[in-house]
Amino acid sequence: MDLFSNLALGLATAVEPINLLYCLIGVVIGTAIGVLPGIGPIPTVALLLPFTFGLDATSAFIMLAGIFYGAQYGGSTTAILVNVPGETSSVVTCLDGHKMAQQGRAGPALAIAAISSFYAGTIATVVICLLSLPLSALALKFTAVEYFSLLVLGLLAAVVLAHGSVMKALAMVLLGLLLGLIGIDVSSGAARMTFGVAELGDGIDFVPVAMGLFGLGEIMANLERPPVRQVVSQKVRDLIPSWADLKASFPAMTRGTLIGCILGVLPGGGAALPPFTAYAVEKKLSKNKAMFGHGAIEGVAAPEAANNAGAQTSFIPLLTLGIPANALMALMIGALMMHGIQPGPQIMTEQPQLVWGVIASMWVGNLMLLVINLPLVGIWVSMLKIPYRLMFPAIALLCCIGTYGIANSVFNIWLMLGCALVGYFFIKVGAEPAPLLLGLVLGPQLEENFRRAMLLSDGDLLVFLQRPISAVLLVVAAMLILVLLSPTVFRKRKEALAE
Amino acid sequence: MTGRRIDLQDLLFGLFLVGVAAFTTVATWSLRVGTAANMGPGYMPRAIAALVCAFGLFFVGRGLVSPFKSIAPPQPRAVIFILAAVAAFAVLVTTAGLMIASVVTIVIAGFASREMRVVETVLFGSAMAVGAVLVFVQALKLPVPIWPW
Repeated sequence: MDLFSNLALGLATAVEPINLLYCLIGVVIGTAIGVLPGIGPIPTVALLLPFTFGLDATSAFIMLAGIFYGAQYGGSTTAILVNVPGETSSVVTCLDGHKMAQQGRAGPALAIAAISSFYAGTIATVVICLLSLPLSALALKFTAVEYFSLLVLGLLAAVVLAHGSVMKALAMVLLGLLLGLIGIDVSSGAARMTFGVAELGDGIDFVPVAMGLFGLGEIMANLERPPVRQVVSQKVRDLIPSWADLKASFPAMTRGTLIGCILGVLPGGGAALPPFTAYAVEKKLSKNKAMFGHGAIEGVAAPEAANNAGAQTSFIPLLTLGIPANALMALMIGALMMHGIQPGPQIMTEQPQLVWGVIASMWVGNLMLLVINLPLVGIWVSMLKIPYRLMFPAIALLCCIGTYGIANSVFNIWLMLGCALVGYFFIKVGAEPAPLLLGLVLGPQLEENFRRAMLLSDGDLLVFLQRPISAVLLVVAAMLILVLLSPTVFRKRKEALAE
Repeated sequence: MTGRRIDLQDLLFGLFLVGVAAFTTVATWSLRVGTAANMGPGYMPRAIAALVCAFGLFFVGRGLVSPFKSIAPPQPRAVIFILAAVAAFAVLVTTAGLMIASVVTIVIAGFASREMRVVETVLFGSAMAVGAVLVFVQALKLPVPIWPW
């Protein structure tokens, strides 16, 4: 069996002591930033990227992945105890989780959140294994034509499913693509928009852009909001949930996992959309709807399962097709390229150890998270006592050091400063920066494949519709746009995201 | 503020996009565009700039006819001090070393918040500086001077 030999290879890689160590580091950092509101996985991964150069690519990737799903665990702790989402993905957990904490049931809420996440993580790992092989087999048939169409679909879908205004998101993707063009043109050697800056020759580094937009831009926006930080000061006890709690939450967990897996694979899904959907579904299906919003345990189990499943399955498009599903996966693509690994369909056959090692490490990491989160919950809660007035200067400093470290270049710090200013402007005008990052990372690939496809077809744009796989991808993309422009769907989507 | 029909968010974003498109077109003017079958380096920048410009005009138009919507007034304090902190780091890191650059960055950034307490921030900054040197220079081997000498 191919699947089992792959999994065996993955597990063997994941339990190597060095990889276990980096997995642990990743999930601990992930939990910490997940617990702390105001710093998310994107700036953290961007910050740590430069320091993974010295590591083996597999270890580095295992650690960075751990940060992402670890943050999903940590975010729920803050949501339950403080009623502030540690991460956007745990917004819904606030609703019932915090109510449970107020009723003195913080222990069971935390336990169910962790167990749901673990359960979802385990199933998602299996789903990744099952889907990866057929997808990458399909992807190996891709030429420049199909690849271009796939990139277009990926970018569009990411926009459709993201938060905020669709038109603005589309414009942001284009801005990202434009930034991606900066640098020396590979086929002609002409410098494009480098303005004589030598550092721009190799293209614009995405780390300073990500840190400026996500790290510093967020700080400036956060400082304008009035601070809210109240920890429910109660002893967390009864960490072992009762049989009744488990029985009530099991079906919710399963449905949440399913929803998370499906939405996670879609580009743009990631960790933000699944919990909202899962919560809405549970509320619809539940016999006692009145309990929702007043401490229903299903209202904790389903979204927690969904966000963890979504976080993990969003690695599928990345590992099989080389297409990032969200801004964080775009960073991961950058990480791969820095380690000299070309992301794309061939990655599965060329780097089986990396791919399966990372997949298996997710399950190992989830097991670690269960241990890290439940008995040690007190430590994480005490971290919340760090005031924001000390935290944000520290984040700013870390952004500076990380940006400098990526190429030991002071120019990158100035670039980050510029991006921070632009990022602040974007927040002010209500434009989400995530699509820009996707465009920036995918821009060069998009151009290369487009030019290659045009060269093959002698400048005939119809080639994208003549190849069957490419045509299907483009039709799906066109349908997305059409659906999006129809007013009813637009309203529904707004409601779903606003809820 | 009723009666005015301007959505400032859309309008400003639209103007920004048009500006970026215009700037790109000027900056890539001398690059060869070529044909679709044989694209020059200027083809993609020009094509994307045209799209960006179209989006920009759309937002300007929508902004002018939408009901009034202001943007939250910017608070210059946060923006100025955060950007100044980053600029200070850029200037100091290779000249004065990571230790001094870190303290200065933290203290300047601290001023961005009204809750800032000077003594606490200086102490915290010093601790962070020592930590940063230990982690990034000693452990992670970031090639950067620690002290100005």
